[in-house]
Amino acid sequence: MALKLNQSEFIIERDENKCISCQVCVRQCSNDVHEYDSKGDMIYSDSLKCVGCHRCESLCPTGALKIKERKSQFRTNYNWNASHLRDIYRQADSGGVLLTGMGCDKPYTVYWDRILFNASQVTNPSIDPLREPMEIKTFIGRKPDRLEFKLSRSSKNTGVRLKTKMSPQLELSTPIMFSAMSYGSISLNACRSLAAAASKFGTYYNTGEGGMHKDLYKYAKNTIIQVASGRFGVDADYLNKGSAVEIKIGQGAKPGIGGHLPGEKVTKDISNTRMIPEGTDALSPAPHHDIYSIEDLAQLIYALKEATDWSKPVGVKVSAVHNIAPIASGIVRAGADFIAIDGLRGGTGAAPKIIRDNVGIPIELAVASVDERLREEGIRHKASIIAGGSIRSSSDAIKAIALGADAVYIATAALIAMGCHLCQKCYTGKCNWGIATQDPYLTKRLNPEIGTRRLLNLLRSWSLEIKEMLGGAGINAIESLKGNREHLRGIGLNDRELEVLGIKHAGEA
Amino acid sequence: MIRKNNTKKNNKLIDYVIIGNSAAGLAAAESIRELDKTGKITVLSEEEHLNYSKPMIIYFLTGSVDLKRISFKDREFYRVNNIDIRINTRVKSVDIDKMSLTVEDGSRIGFSKLLIASGGKPIIPRIRASGAGSGEDVSFNAVDSMNYKKIGGIFTLTTLRDAIRIKDYLKKNSVKRISILGGGLIGLKAAEAFLDMGIDINIIELADRVLSATFDRQASGIIEEKVKSRGNKIYKNNTIEEIYITKGNISGYRLKDGRKMECRLLVIAVGVIPNTGFIYGGKVKINRGILVDDRMQTSVKNIYAAGDVAEGLDMLLKENKNIAIWPLAVMQGAVAGNNMAGGNKKYSGGFFMNSVEILQIPSISMGLTVIEDKREKDMEVLKDFNPDKHIYKKIVIRNSSIIGVIMVGNIERAGIYSGLIRNEIDISSIRENISMENFGIIHLPADYKKHLVVGEGIEV
Amino acid sequence: MPERPSEVKMKKIYIQEEYCIGCRLCEIYCQVKHSKSKKIIKAYREELIDVLPRVLVEEIGYNSFAIQCRHCADAPCVAACISGAMQKNKNTGVVTCDEDKCVGCWSCIMVCPYGVIKRDLSGKKIASKCDLCVDEEIPVCVKNCPNEALKFIEKDGNERNENDKKK
Repeated sequence: MALKLNQSEFIIERDENKCISCQVCVRQCSNDVHEYDSKGDMIYSDSLKCVGCHRCESLCPTGALKIKERKSQFRTNYNWNASHLRDIYRQADSGGVLLTGMGCDKPYTVYWDRILFNASQVTNPSIDPLREPMEIKTFIGRKPDRLEFKLSRSSKNTGVRLKTKMSPQLELSTPIMFSAMSYGSISLNACRSLAAAASKFGTYYNTGEGGMHKDLYKYAKNTIIQVASGRFGVDADYLNKGSAVEIKIGQGAKPGIGGHLPGEKVTKDISNTRMIPEGTDALSPAPHHDIYSIEDLAQLIYALKEATDWSKPVGVKVSAVHNIAPIASGIVRAGADFIAIDGLRGGTGAAPKIIRDNVGIPIELAVASVDERLREEGIRHKASIIAGGSIRSSSDAIKAIALGADAVYIATAALIAMGCHLCQKCYTGKCNWGIATQDPYLTKRLNPEIGTRRLLNLLRSWSLEIKEMLGGAGINAIESLKGNREHLRGIGLNDRELEVLGIKHAGEA
Repeated sequence: MIRKNNTKKNNKLIDYVIIGNSAAGLAAAESIRELDKTGKITVLSEEEHLNYSKPMIIYFLTGSVDLKRISFKDREFYRVNNIDIRINTRVKSVDIDKMSLTVEDGSRIGFSKLLIASGGKPIIPRIRASGAGSGEDVSFNAVDSMNYKKIGGIFTLTTLRDAIRIKDYLKKNSVKRISILGGGLIGLKAAEAFLDMGIDINIIELADRVLSATFDRQASGIIEEKVKSRGNKIYKNNTIEEIYITKGNISGYRLKDGRKMECRLLVIAVGVIPNTGFIYGGKVKINRGILVDDRMQTSVKNIYAAGDVAEGLDMLLKENKNIAIWPLAVMQGAVAGNNMAGGNKKYSGGFFMNSVEILQIPSISMGLTVIEDKREKDMEVLKDFNPDKHIYKKIVIRNSSIIGVIMVGNIERAGIYSGLIRNEIDISSIRENISMENFGIIHLPADYKKHLVVGEGIEV
Repeated sequence: MPERPSEVKMKKIYIQEEYCIGCRLCEIYCQVKHSKSKKIIKAYREELIDVLPRVLVEEIGYNSFAIQCRHCADAPCVAACISGAMQKNKNTGVVTCDEDKCVGCWSCIMVCPYGVIKRDLSGKKIASKCDLCVDEEIPVCVKNCPNEALKFIEKDGNERNENDKKK
């Protein structure tokens, strides 16, 4: 209908004294917000179409543009806030499920911001990471129950040798990996950047459910391949190319439901990579239709281990839900070498808004309870825990490790490093930064040379910060921090929260 | 070293002698010096100026350039390249067997290698005349190449001296209208110069349009209209049949159609022919110009020719043709010099091209643009004519490659076409795009475009 | 005897077509650099009509690239120039048009196979083309390309073969 109930969410402020009508903003906006009027030599902006991605503001050569969020224009109502009203208007207009992109933005407690890390003072000396050895190398995979050594008697080798046969491990130069983002949800240039950065830095990236594009074969040594419910791109070749296999049961942004890549986005390239016909919808069903119980999962895990000749770690990715602790226990007993948990705040290319914002639990609580449960059952060593779902900084990472994770998965942070401004419109495929789109005009905007460089910088700075914090706490190996709750204190948390997290309150010794 | 040649003794053997001090000659000298740092190079010029660019004499006429700015190489150039330049040195004859030449003052110069880059000289048709000279006993019954200089007010416009003489004449006489015999390139360039000076012109052209050698009717039409709109007159399908002389100066003429015109200044610009008059004997094969192979060597070993005097390969007609334009003169000179000094450069051929701006309408023509009907079978012509904006574009295609282009009014990026012509690029896949106004490299066939966008500079 | 004189080793501007986003910031910064004030807002407000960019962005659909003078080894514009204004510097290799000598005959425009020379009619008629920003560390178009599509590097003959093989 002609009556527009939803007003613009952003205001575009153009300083006319600085605007030179160069039209870069006109050309760069994929939502056609700006328009040039040659008669008046002026640019007009339609703020209703603006999604707040800041592309025009970033490229404007004179800094004439400012994109501001337009605060709620309704009467103050703590119950019915603007977001509710807007959503209802949209649903009354469309009758459909409201979609959104990226992670949950609701004001639930962010536990990272209520946890504090320790530092050494008198009793335990700090370590300077620039002068003394500091180990942040991490191994992902099943650890043996015990280590057996044998004394070597040969003339060449004196000393001890390891007798126990180790399960396959992933060696990470830093406890940070790139989480699953499929080629299809993000552009090939973005995939290239992630793969190249992981490869150069000595960590891993994840193919997501999109399969492995042939341009990325050269990064196979640093690739974790995902087997999702749609089984896109999965064949023996694919399985053997990766360094590890991850069975995707769910993801933090949309626990319990499947995925959907619309047919228009299934281009020739994506069709080849996912091994589905061009133009058909890529539907990932909610459950794996061959996994209806934990025994089925065990069967799949062992089938994959057979298919890969027992040479690669095979793990499982789940969303953090209410019963995550027993679920994790079941998964580990089913034979998984690692379990990746994706929390409530995890990002996505497209998900129903209502599910993203209301389903699941925060990763902080999930990691803590899973780690606790597995230790109680004496099976903690059988699988590595990878925590994901809005790790925003190196401090979040280090806190996650202290709560029990072996390593963290980052995705949103990586995209932000490449230019993402969290406008949450990924599902439109018009990402102005060339990240969440397949439009060739837009994907050019992400130069993999620049993307790779920025991701490497991100990994490098976070790794240095982790070392600084470890050193400050008197720890010289990340191994010593794993699950070491003593190094954390809560602040502004109630007793139950502290209990679930397994940490004391700040001020308690 | 600059020397006015007044020595009469014979010089010892010179490694490289170059007849002609213009585009071809100096390009050759530079080319020789790049390979041979020590050989002796002597350049002979029959004119009295150290160096000047012939195409610029029009600008000298209008006053846009002075005697200093009209040079295209300065004194430094001769010094740095160690070129011995001798001005006022006109060659009388060349002795092929003795490998030496004789200057007008009688002195002889021997050479190991010779480059003839003597350029062209104006054609003066023989025209009936009547009237008397300054004294009662001198009368003329014809104007021809021998006597035209004796008649006041009749000029050619091919050398700097011509321009200086015309300027002097205009200073001393108030001339409101100049007549130009010949509506070709020189004629039109002269017309523009005079229009810029505020003098009206009559152009008398033998063909049915101006610039008949390179422009078709539409293109010529645009220019003619502009010229006429300023009150100037163009007489087509016409020529001068009789010149009237009074007291040793031109006073008027009669056209072929019978009309009689008053005239105090006549510029004869019907064309140029290669200046080969000093070559006798037939050993050096001459057609219209001196015939040369792909190394610019003539039929005689160690004697080369380049520039307006030479007749090298026309790559579009696939036969030798004398194409008298500056860029080819430079290219040919460079090839000649390179080979003279022992190099191996080859001349891949040239084609006609010209850029001229008349009354703020720029125009460029290149290649074969005027097609006789009988050849039209395997040729295709694309046109885009916008008479209101004075814009015209014509592209001639033969066997899927471009062989000729005319652009009037809008000459943006014209050079892309010359690249397509030179490299004989197959344009069948982009036929719709090539006549578009915004035709650019992005429209070109993929592999040629990649070569241009990604690769180095071009090879000539 | 060498086939041709040795080419000057020089850095030139190359475009990576797959990363050109068609924003035309290169054209804008080129204009600013060659303006009188060299300040972007002042140049645009007061001088815009008169300043030509020396780099040209061509665009069809989602393909675009920026192209400017290649400073060719055997530059045809230098050969065609009737006034000696177009010269290739023997040391730096840069081809420049001497504005004092140029008479605006447009012979260079006629022969440049890249079509990157323009007519500058703002004052005296002269030919306008890329001068490789010799007084800057790197040309302003390269420096200001937001996607690093333009590169200022030295390539030798071998590099070209590699590019050919890639495609």
